[in-house]
Amino acid sequence: MRIFQNTKFDFLGSRKIAYAISGALILIGLISLAFRGLEYGIDFKGGTEIALGFEKPIDIGKVRAELNKIGLGKVEVKTFGGETGVLVRTDLQEIPKDIYPKVVNKIEEAIKKLHPNVKYEVKEKTSNSITFKFETPELAAQISNELFKEGFQTSKLEEDNAHQTEVVVRVGIADWIKENLKTMYADNSFQILKEEHVGPKIGKELKVDAIISIVLALIVILIYLGFRFKFIFAVGAVAALFHDVLITLGLFSLLYGVTDFLNLAININVVAAFLTLVGYSINDTVVVFDRVRENFKIHKTAPLKDNINNAINQTLPRTIITSMTTWFVTLILLIFGGEVLRGFAFALFIGVMVGTYSSIFVASSLVYEYAKKGNKKISF
Amino acid sequence: MKEFRSKLILILAFVALSIYLLYPTYQDYQNTKKIEKELSNFAVEYKAKDPTISEAKLKKLLAFKEDSIRVSNPDFKDAREKRLKLGLDLQGGMYLVLEVNTAKLLEKLAKDPDDTFEQIMKEAEKEAKVSDEDVVSIVARKLKEKGIRLSRYFGSIRESDDQIIKKLKEQEKDAVTRAIEIISNRVNQYGVSEPSIQPQGARRIIVELPGIAKEEEAKRLLQGRALLEFTLVKDPQFTFKIMNAIDAHLAEVLAPKDSALVDSLAAKDSTGQLSEEEFAIKHPFYALAMINPQSQVADAFVKQSNMAKLKNYLSRPDVQKLIPDNVRFLFSAKPVTTTKEGEAIYKLYLVNKKAELTGGVITDAQANIDPQTTAPIVTMQMNAEGAREWARITGSNINKRIAIVLDGVVYSAPVVKGKIAGGRSQIEGMADLDEAKLLEIVLKAGALPAPIEIIEERTVGPSLGQDSINKGFFSTVAGFILVAVFMVFYYRTGGAIADLALFLTLLFIMGILAGFHATLTLPGIAGIILTIGMAVDANVLIYERIREELATGKTLKAAVTAGFTNSYSAIFDSNITTFFTGIILYQFGSGPVQGFALTLMIGIVSSLFSALVVSRLIFDMMVKKGIKINIG
Repeated sequence: MRIFQNTKFDFLGSRKIAYAISGALILIGLISLAFRGLEYGIDFKGGTEIALGFEKPIDIGKVRAELNKIGLGKVEVKTFGGETGVLVRTDLQEIPKDIYPKVVNKIEEAIKKLHPNVKYEVKEKTSNSITFKFETPELAAQISNELFKEGFQTSKLEEDNAHQTEVVVRVGIADWIKENLKTMYADNSFQILKEEHVGPKIGKELKVDAIISIVLALIVILIYLGFRFKFIFAVGAVAALFHDVLITLGLFSLLYGVTDFLNLAININVVAAFLTLVGYSINDTVVVFDRVRENFKIHKTAPLKDNINNAINQTLPRTIITSMTTWFVTLILLIFGGEVLRGFAFALFIGVMVGTYSSIFVASSLVYEYAKKGNKKISF
Repeated sequence: MKEFRSKLILILAFVALSIYLLYPTYQDYQNTKKIEKELSNFAVEYKAKDPTISEAKLKKLLAFKEDSIRVSNPDFKDAREKRLKLGLDLQGGMYLVLEVNTAKLLEKLAKDPDDTFEQIMKEAEKEAKVSDEDVVSIVARKLKEKGIRLSRYFGSIRESDDQIIKKLKEQEKDAVTRAIEIISNRVNQYGVSEPSIQPQGARRIIVELPGIAKEEEAKRLLQGRALLEFTLVKDPQFTFKIMNAIDAHLAEVLAPKDSALVDSLAAKDSTGQLSEEEFAIKHPFYALAMINPQSQVADAFVKQSNMAKLKNYLSRPDVQKLIPDNVRFLFSAKPVTTTKEGEAIYKLYLVNKKAELTGGVITDAQANIDPQTTAPIVTMQMNAEGAREWARITGSNINKRIAIVLDGVVYSAPVVKGKIAGGRSQIEGMADLDEAKLLEIVLKAGALPAPIEIIEERTVGPSLGQDSINKGFFSTVAGFILVAVFMVFYYRTGGAIADLALFLTLLFIMGILAGFHATLTLPGIAGIILTIGMAVDANVLIYERIREELATGKTLKAAVTAGFTNSYSAIFDSNITTFFTGIILYQFGSGPVQGFALTLMIGIVSSLFSALVVSRLIFDMMVKKGIKINIG
């Protein structure tokens, strides 16, 4: 079987249409990026994210409504995997001051439930832990263990004699969410599928790293292609890469929160997907450029436009076939790869399409445009 | 066919190597299945013995059992070490980044801190949260602004600010070392298999705990303060008496039902010649905890492979009854020696349960070389209150041994030579300076608890991990079949050859990953799946080119040669750019993303080899034999 064999499309002739389409897509993306922005995972803004698997199916709307009432402000609640999975995300780093007394209350209730008449004092309250003081070290040790079994984060007792009667209970965002869900769904127990906490500093560092790595990738490609081809080819290729990344990113902005199936939060995996998309798209473009270079060597006197058009047509079957096989596997990843990889797969699924389109319609056109405008002659 | 021989040998060698590298992974998979079956049998047995056994207790017993099965068979161990490891996101586990809280450390180090100091610390802490500048520099700058010299709070009066800053930064680094020791110690006791604890930069520690089921428990282990105790080692008579009682008791309850064996043992008992197996039946405790009858001390020596079993014995309720309430058995923190075969040997001590003194009284510790004897020593300094107690303790226990215990394992058990007054003690008997340095770290853990904070934490539960493995595996197979069928449909014979190349690419990727001791992560699997789609690209390029060459009227042979040759530059240039992004990705990413970058890069190299060497060889051989190749 053969498809797109010996085609004679005038790609450069219809480049204006391609510009219009690309321009519109980029514009829509930019508008969405400006007004809607992107949904960031906790990797980049810091915060807490937990995924829970309940035993029985659960009404996500109800969980959302309930969790928005526990004093953490607006908590993001989504499905995770199927109808028993829940993903909860908040960018808070510590328990807000106004609900802190409630948290203390909850622990005190638990202590009273275990030992109705026990005497204790609250010795210290910090933003992430509460220290209780009991009468004897033995009692303190016992209560520490019992509270731990109840799901509270008690810490080991302090070593020196002065502190042996103290029990430290950690109060984190994740603990508070879990504690509340446990009470709300007493008849539907859950297990933790994953739990992530990223401090604000790490989030900032990861963001800088991500930007550096994408910029670095573009620079390396620019230098390599400038060296292997001509500098204007490198510029055309990198411009096409910007085009691909912008459109895909715009789609991430446009589509997040639209369906429960797609979790389009930008996290480290998605950045990895964007870098891969850069690698894939440049791969496609280079194959076309390589043919242009070859054609220039064979038909030195042929017009630039014909040479480029021929090169795109000659490589068209390969471009389509490779895009198809790659697109197949990203589609499989998107459908069957599971919740964790969905954002990653979606970036590549879209990226492969846009990348293929740009290496046929955009990259070479930009090279042609540049050469025509500056009236430059390209020779190898 | 001579011209193809060297290439053929090369390819077969690579295939053989990949299979060889992957074989332990297969073995380990089989072993795990076997062990799981054995364990389920044990679970039934335990439940039959004690129907009221709690889930947690059963789990613990089975974990012990699994440990001892795994260590007892060297083949199991070998396969396990050489297998393709799964990342935390696949097998479940915890990834933590810990950071030393320098502000807290400085507060601890400060001499007579006043309100001004506390005010500065508060500001510095706030600033450090949003700035890249480290706390030490911020504090130094703030003190300078106020015209206060650093020596007001730190170091000695003669030192310049720069010297003190340097010293404080060293303290920071020390705290990291200390925290690593404390954490490794606890993690080892907790029984996490293949933990990884590494420093990152000057103030951070990365902890990876695979297969941790209870993350709360692990967090508890990491955050609590280390407990350093000085406790008396029991004298030999007392210790032997208890050990003998345990040994006799265990021999009785564990006695084999086979009466013939018992008879033969009884008969041999008179001659006193016991084989190793017979000794193990007769003395189950001493078979594991070997003692030296000539020795002055009652420390037992335990092989690493026997530790789990021995711990299991010691935790039996019937054995616990034989151990007095005020004493406990403790292991040494590090192996004391090795067997001829190189297996680590630990010591087992019997010590008082109640500590004579806890580590809070230590103010400083320093490892040094004794200038007179050139032997490594550790000096330790206590505060006034501790020094008084210490003088009393050492005075009444001359010639006895005091164990230095950190979080329940013994780091050293020096003999008290005389009463130590003034709180300055010297510990001798370390084998080398490294050992002395370790003891210094341990003692300082009591003096200066390293304040560490969890700044990043990622936990994946085992069920999500298993789910990811299943989905990843399914996607790989589905992706492979889809691409393979498409290639055969579109390129006929050529497609089949490309599929073979694709299969070999996958084999090579897995082989190389296993060979490099790399870790397979979920994004890594995604990288493999993506490679399936992209790896056929080289073949597609070549086939399309061959079609073009055929269309110009070339013979098959000439077209194949031209097709391959003319595709080289495109294949090379396009793959090298992707490879570059792979390198950048590897530099940028952590754990899982690095796994992805690695598989992507290995995938590129493998697929190039498969397309350019393997498929080329098959084409050339077929052309030479005159077989017509249909490329659709």
